[in-house]
Amino acid sequence: MKKNTKGVDHRKIKNILDKNKAKIELSMKACAHCSMCAESCFLFQARNKDPRYMPSYKFLKTLGVIYKKKGKVDRVTLEEMKPILWKRCVLCTRCYCPMGIDIPYLIRTARSICRSQDVYYRYDEDA
Amino acid sequence: MVKVKRKPLEEIAESVKGYTKILNVGCGGCVSVCLAGGQREVKTTNAELTLLFEEKGINSRVDGYTVERQCNAACLEELDDLVVRYDCLLSMACGAGVQMLAERYPSKPVFPAQNTVAIGVDREIGVYEEKCRACGRCVLAYTGGIWIPCAWNDIYIRLKQQNRLDDIKKIHLAMEWQNSTPRTIVQPQYEHLYAKEEK
Ligand code: SF4
Ligand code: SF4
Ligand code: SF4
Ligand code: SF4
Repeated sequence: MKKNTKGVDHRKIKNILDKNKAKIELSMKACAHCSMCAESCFLFQARNKDPRYMPSYKFLKTLGVIYKKKGKVDRVTLEEMKPILWKRCVLCTRCYCPMGIDIPYLIRTARSICRSQDVYYRYDEDA
Repeated sequence: MVKVKRKPLEEIAESVKGYTKILNVGCGGCVSVCLAGGQREVKTTNAELTLLFEEKGINSRVDGYTVERQCNAACLEELDDLVVRYDCLLSMACGAGVQMLAERYPSKPVFPAQNTVAIGVDREIGVYEEKCRACGRCVLAYTGGIWIPCAWNDIYIRLKQQNRLDDIKKIHLAMEWQNSTPRTIVQPQYEHLYAKEEK
């Protein structure tokens, strides 16, 4: 397996990005940053409307970044995305975007990219 | 959430016997929370299985892949291309996840790696307690939040403490154990979408 110096197998990330290219590209272009999705996220409501819990923030700061960098992200960057992807979203799929963006799908895809590098949340890690 | 306990390794190995390429599918939902069937546990189970295959001279290979939720069709999509490369699937999810896999890939044998035990609560790290059997007609409203089989004495003490002893004097219809047949849940706000057309 070809690994780069930063311990990330970019080929795997690239595969996932390629497979989902059309839908990711369309979603990133379609997002008008209107933050209307925020109201539909119970975690955003429960966290005093902290903007870091906005569904759009969650996918833009994770998959959005990975996509912009064409998958060339290092392990530290992926580790930093972990709390956004797992602790600020429970994938309840209740968020609603009037532009038709499938937000849970974007968050799931970002998780899948992290998982491909063995970056994922362990439920006993904060104990 | 749903609580599970992994089956003994020998039992898992026995069920996948005869299959050369095995894909072990983890679940990022409840079984990750109860530390039994997430990505990490897929990895450890596969390592144990590989060792066992080696010891027994079995020529099988087991790979792993974890989806966010095995009970949701959209989450299984990413498996579609992968599954075709394997002879059988092993599921680290609860029984619902196993069935969803089997439904989506009807030509692949799917085997459970877990014993699904209960709907329960988290007591300590790795310690879970059964709290609900999904009977379909919850009685907790008049039992002070204590589940009947867990003892009437506890119920009495709690209701007394809350000044609600009247609640146990009420006569209720006999329990219909709705969990003796498989049920489908449609939330009221979505009923109109699925209502059967009248002729
Ligand atoms: S995801 Fe949709 S609702 Fe949310 S900011 Fe983007 S366009 Fe607006
Ligand atoms: S899926 Fe995530 S972002 Fe969407 S509503 Fe649920 S918690 Fe919020
Ligand atoms: S498949 Fe079972 S363990 Fe996984 S999220 Fe669904 S209910 Fe929980
Ligand atoms: S009464 Fe039924 S639904 Fe309520 S906790 Fe007990 S088993 Fe679960």
